[in-house]
Amino acid sequence: MKRYFLLSAGFFLLLMLSHCGTARRGVPMFSPINLENPAVAKGEKIFMAYCQKCHPGGTAGLAPAINNKPVPGFLIRFQIRNGLGMMPAFKEEVISDEELDYLMAYINELRKTDKKDIDLD
Amino acid sequence: MKSLHYLLPLLLAVSLSGCFRLLSSDGGGQGRIRMDVRPVDPEAIALPAGYQAEVVATGLTFPTGAAFDAQGRLYVIESGYSYGEIFFEPRLLRVEPDGSLTTIATGVKNGPWTGITYYKGNFYVAEGGELLGGRILRISPDGNITSLVEDLPTMGDHHTNGPVISADGQLYFSLGTATNSGVVGPDNYDYGWLKRYPDFHDIPCEDIVLVGRNYVSDLPPEPESAEHVTGAYSPYGTATTEGQVIEGRIPCSGAVMRIPVNGGAAPELVAWGFRNPFSLAFSPAGRLYVTENAYDVRGSRPVWGVADNLWEVQQGKWYGWPDYAGGELIDGERYEAPNKKVPNPILARHPSKPPKPVAKLGVHSSSNGLDFSRSDAFGYKGEAFIAQYGDLAPGVGKVLAPVGFKVIRVNVETGVVTEFAANKGKMVAPASKLMTGGLERPISVKFSPDGESLYIVDFGIMETGEEDLNPEVETGVIWKITKTEPGL
Repeated sequence: MKRYFLLSAGFFLLLMLSHCGTARRGVPMFSPINLENPAVAKGEKIFMAYCQKCHPGGTAGLAPAINNKPVPGFLIRFQIRNGLGMMPAFKEEVISDEELDYLMAYINELRKTDKKDIDLD
Repeated sequence: MKSLHYLLPLLLAVSLSGCFRLLSSDGGGQGRIRMDVRPVDPEAIALPAGYQAEVVATGLTFPTGAAFDAQGRLYVIESGYSYGEIFFEPRLLRVEPDGSLTTIATGVKNGPWTGITYYKGNFYVAEGGELLGGRILRISPDGNITSLVEDLPTMGDHHTNGPVISADGQLYFSLGTATNSGVVGPDNYDYGWLKRYPDFHDIPCEDIVLVGRNYVSDLPPEPESAEHVTGAYSPYGTATTEGQVIEGRIPCSGAVMRIPVNGGAAPELVAWGFRNPFSLAFSPAGRLYVTENAYDVRGSRPVWGVADNLWEVQQGKWYGWPDYAGGELIDGERYEAPNKKVPNPILARHPSKPPKPVAKLGVHSSSNGLDFSRSDAFGYKGEAFIAQYGDLAPGVGKVLAPVGFKVIRVNVETGVVTEFAANKGKMVAPASKLMTGGLERPISVKFSPDGESLYIVDFGIMETGEEDLNPEVETGVIWKITKTEPGL
């Protein structure tokens, strides 16, 4: 049980720390998102149809940010399918399994996009 | 301590699942907002590589639109009205090369002037009509004002908007709805207009049949505080019945309309079923597009989580208000705000199934001014540029971070939205919240006649509370964006 506690505490700490970094990605602040992978490019369109309105560019808006969320991709996929809190579930008849693969490819690209040239001043 | 081992994961799961409910709203106008001064610093604005910003004019009070005359000189309108019940006389101003302002025409207190265009020697202005009803005005270069259309039913939440003129000389304009979602309620009292026009309500463009759903509310202060029952498309305190027919008429609420640019004909309906169709523009391909401010979480029939939209306007279509959002039926918990009732449909029959939007934009982003890039010299040719005024949270609904406060571009073929101009910082927010000299509330965008520069009309500072909106006079700014490295 101690291990369980430490894991939870660690996750909670990660969640808190995630708010220290910016969730902004891509232009105009940073380099463009790499869309060379066709799956990422297809995923961008799916993101625009279902995610953009609440998470503009993957940042917070109506809903929390995605880009700096310290959870693995499979949990995001689970949340998309099943919903969480106010977020509705997007079932297979709305986003097919293939489309969800594309969407996750885009979200993963967003999350890992380099922001070394950050200028927050 | 041991019980904490069991409780922590549970607390974590509960806090994550209830995140939206537990966190407080953090809109762009909320919190510590710098109201007293408006420093301007183009370096505070992030732009794509190869573009630069400069300041063209400052000190404007509630500017909302810009236009160029045949000589390429820049003009700007001051609205004369702002949410928060602030009234001035609206003005048409010429921006001189040194940034000074010359008054060309002054209107009456019936703002907001929401848009302007120039066509064959005259200016055309949409007068919102908060006090006297909407009008479309023609203003000559020496400042004579002629009304082409009057008495448009826009004394409510949303106003007469536009105009834009087609290649064949038709002037298109739009009319916003009186209410958030079809039912007059306490929010309209708070906005101010229900005290002035207690019988005002939404007007359908065609006959409609109601479900007969009614809503109970009361109005502060005494003596009106007794409970009232109000139905859709009806005056406050008037109940409706199942199967009741509301007669359509023109002009109507939530519609795009047109008249010949020389006037002399009654407005003709182009399309309807919009909530607040704010800005119209023709693409380089000649297609008509409109931005729409979508539902808020307020009033007797609050609707949660609805995107603003960019639509292509097609003749005769119905776009879904008050029962659809972005082409989807509002029919369940998906649209239910925390601690509010589910906003079920209020029409027994829908005129048609509405189309899908070209792009879905940020919830509460207040996506307003619209123009298209027409030049390779500027870049992004054929893409739509949209000024996002930014949220008015918490009065329109809660947000977890500021939404809008930037200029975006939209590929109208794919629906992909990309930031174009936004303040630098950890998050996008108005300069008054970030304490920088960047963008505040972009409300309009206009490309220069040569297509090489984009002008951003920045309304200025507005602080927002649960019920109060506090706009700050003389904080409006005109920005100019140009491409400095053509090869990029």
